[in-house]
Amino acid sequence: MKAEERLERYAELAVRVGANVQQGQEVFVIPEIEHADLARALVRQAYLAGASYVHVFYRDEHVRKAMIELGPDSALAYTPAWEKELTEAMSDNALLATTGNADPELLADLDGDRVGRAIPLERAEIRQRQHLEQSVNWCAVGAPNAGWATQVFGEPDVERLWEKVAFCMRLDEADPVSAWREHLDRLRVRGDALTGLRPDALRYRGPDTDLTVGLLPSARWGSAGFRTSGGIDYVANMPTEEIFTTPDCRRAEGKIRSSLPLVLDGQMIRGLQLTLEEGRIVGVDAEQGADLIRGQLGTVENADRLGELALVTSESRVGQSETLFFDTLFDENATCHIAYGAGLPYAFDGEPDEGCNDAKLHVDFMVGGPELEVDALLADGSAVPLIRDENWQLQ
Amino acid sequence: MDERLERYAELAVRVGANVQPGQEVFLLANVEHRDLARALTRQAYRAGAAYVHVLYNDMHVRRALIELGPDEALTYAPEWRKTFNESMTGNAMIGTTGDPEPELLADLDGERVGRAVPRELVEIRMRQMSEDSVNWVGVGAPNEGWARQVFGEPDVERLWEKVAFCMRLDEPDPVAAWQDHLARLEARCEGLNELGADALQYRGPGTDLTVGLLRNVRWMSGSTDTRDGIRYVANMPTEEVFTSPDARRTEGTIRSTMPLPLQGQIVRGLELTFEQGRAVRVEAETGADLIRSHFATIENADRLGEVALVTKESRVGRSGTIFYDVLFDENATCHIAYGMGLPFLVDGEPDDGLNVANMHVDFMVGGPELEVDALLADGTVVPLVRNEEWQLA
Repeated sequence: MKAEERLERYAELAVRVGANVQQGQEVFVIPEIEHADLARALVRQAYLAGASYVHVFYRDEHVRKAMIELGPDSALAYTPAWEKELTEAMSDNALLATTGNADPELLADLDGDRVGRAIPLERAEIRQRQHLEQSVNWCAVGAPNAGWATQVFGEPDVERLWEKVAFCMRLDEADPVSAWREHLDRLRVRGDALTGLRPDALRYRGPDTDLTVGLLPSARWGSAGFRTSGGIDYVANMPTEEIFTTPDCRRAEGKIRSSLPLVLDGQMIRGLQLTLEEGRIVGVDAEQGADLIRGQLGTVENADRLGELALVTSESRVGQSETLFFDTLFDENATCHIAYGAGLPYAFDGEPDEGCNDAKLHVDFMVGGPELEVDALLADGSAVPLIRDENWQLQ
Repeated sequence: MDERLERYAELAVRVGANVQPGQEVFLLANVEHRDLARALTRQAYRAGAAYVHVLYNDMHVRRALIELGPDEALTYAPEWRKTFNESMTGNAMIGTTGDPEPELLADLDGERVGRAVPRELVEIRMRQMSEDSVNWVGVGAPNEGWARQVFGEPDVERLWEKVAFCMRLDEPDPVAAWQDHLARLEARCEGLNELGADALQYRGPGTDLTVGLLRNVRWMSGSTDTRDGIRYVANMPTEEVFTSPDARRTEGTIRSTMPLPLQGQIVRGLELTFEQGRAVRVEAETGADLIRSHFATIENADRLGEVALVTKESRVGRSGTIFYDVLFDENATCHIAYGMGLPFLVDGEPDDGLNVANMHVDFMVGGPELEVDALLADGTVVPLVRNEEWQLA
């Protein structure tokens, strides 16, 4: 496949299977400035899918860096009126976002506390509300670029990164659209089985890890196939290999160690180790980047409680690619992960439970690996193995 | 950090837009201008900006809209974009030019290209211009595609050197050099305003045009004050003195002397014939359809909105370069614009003769053979430009 054809097919998959853009919808494309090639293909495919208008708003991390480094304090959390309107206008429309950080350590030399505070709060609130209402059919996809490739391979080999990404996205299949449908079905079956088990808690054991996290009775284990309140099916993350739920944020005890590096706000977090008591993170250690996490936990209310648990096994295409992508969208699908911050209100049967965490951020970090054991603890005290040696145990 | 880039951005921020502490700054740049956009953002914060809004424009997105989008999308102005433009009022704006792919839209339907103007957005900017409520500047952003257009090869460094020369960055104190330069243009304006000419006459190859002038419309040059008294230089470089003519009194034919990149096409050899103020004939070697579409779909686009005089002291002219960019090329030589007149030039009540249109397009008419005269009410003819030199003492 020629590179140009691959780009268009990839964009088509994101538009048709991912966001599932409907005839007459407006489409919002929010890429980084280094993702222009993919952004343009997404715009073309969105119009071909019948979009009535495609809005494109490029983000630029260098602009953000200048704001954090040189701007006044009042600029850090500011959401301009036009950006609120832009975000509001996404309701009942489609959103395509791109990932693939072109310069992951760009903000590394800045004050971690200022970086942590630089969150446009009102914009985040609108997006959280749209998540809650399920009013946007959206999809996030990776956009290979030179900086990202350098991060992954030590050299700007964009073509090699494209091949890895295309593999994770099943573009090598004769019919990628049906391959995706089968894949999504398999994940849904897995999620339904675990939901049916109604565990009271999950237990994680592994190197430097012994954590028990309470679960909520009404919590569902979902996969990335979603439906908007208007009835549009969409796949929020591509690739996706996980089943996930929101835990009881009041019940987490023990310690857990991240197993992959995490890129966050332009900084690299390595060897993150969290200690939890009564649901709250009471200890943060890391080989690198601990200040940024402490900055977030210190300033964003309830960021110090858990919002998501996700299980991934060795069938994962991302895992099989044997590539560390340094990008959450991919790496969280390589292996099991946990998120601190906002819970997922749609991960429940009916209304979200009060144990569902409410916070203005959501940060995933990877905890899986061959040595991690995950068990479901049932109300009667029995333990049911879920994952051993990265293989799914529940039938 | 690239020192030339930072000094250039600083000049645009401090002399051009003249960003005031506490102002918000709105930056509109093409995606290919990101290096300069980032430097402008840094310099704007250093100048005390409260917040810098950066909106990248992408011509490929526009191409997809025109090629693949529905009809009603062509002129659509999203609410958030209107708010973005409205928010500029009382604040500073910086726009960048330097088209990376001037012929990107060349194979599209010229009529659709011509119609693809988000009118409501343009109207907001036009109102802000007439209120003079935004201190703003347009500057060039060298990039590979622009360099290829100029030199036939993507020699960005060579283009940077030309741009830096036009911007007086080679002077030991560019800020002082700009102040001297602006004062010289100001003196020219005063001469013309005292003369009070009734019309201008252009003569040259393929050109014999008379344009009426209005009594209460001033000649102006580079620097302007906003209604709040912030002095800014809207175009950098700037080498022109300009005014808005009487849109009802244009007679004759004028031929453009330089190619004009416009909405992704290049208009070459444009020749316009006017009768009683309106363009009645449009000819061109390339791009005539686009211009005809403007005249057919936008009210009063077929009347003149500006006449501007430039002589050979111009740094742009002396650079010996055709930049294929209006910001630069209009400062190489004399030019004329069809479309909107410039209301901020009017003393007192707006004059009926000042054109009102949602568009303003400059094209170049100057060159060694062009002669420009002022015609006074008593019939006297006063030479203004001969052999690209200024004649009025």
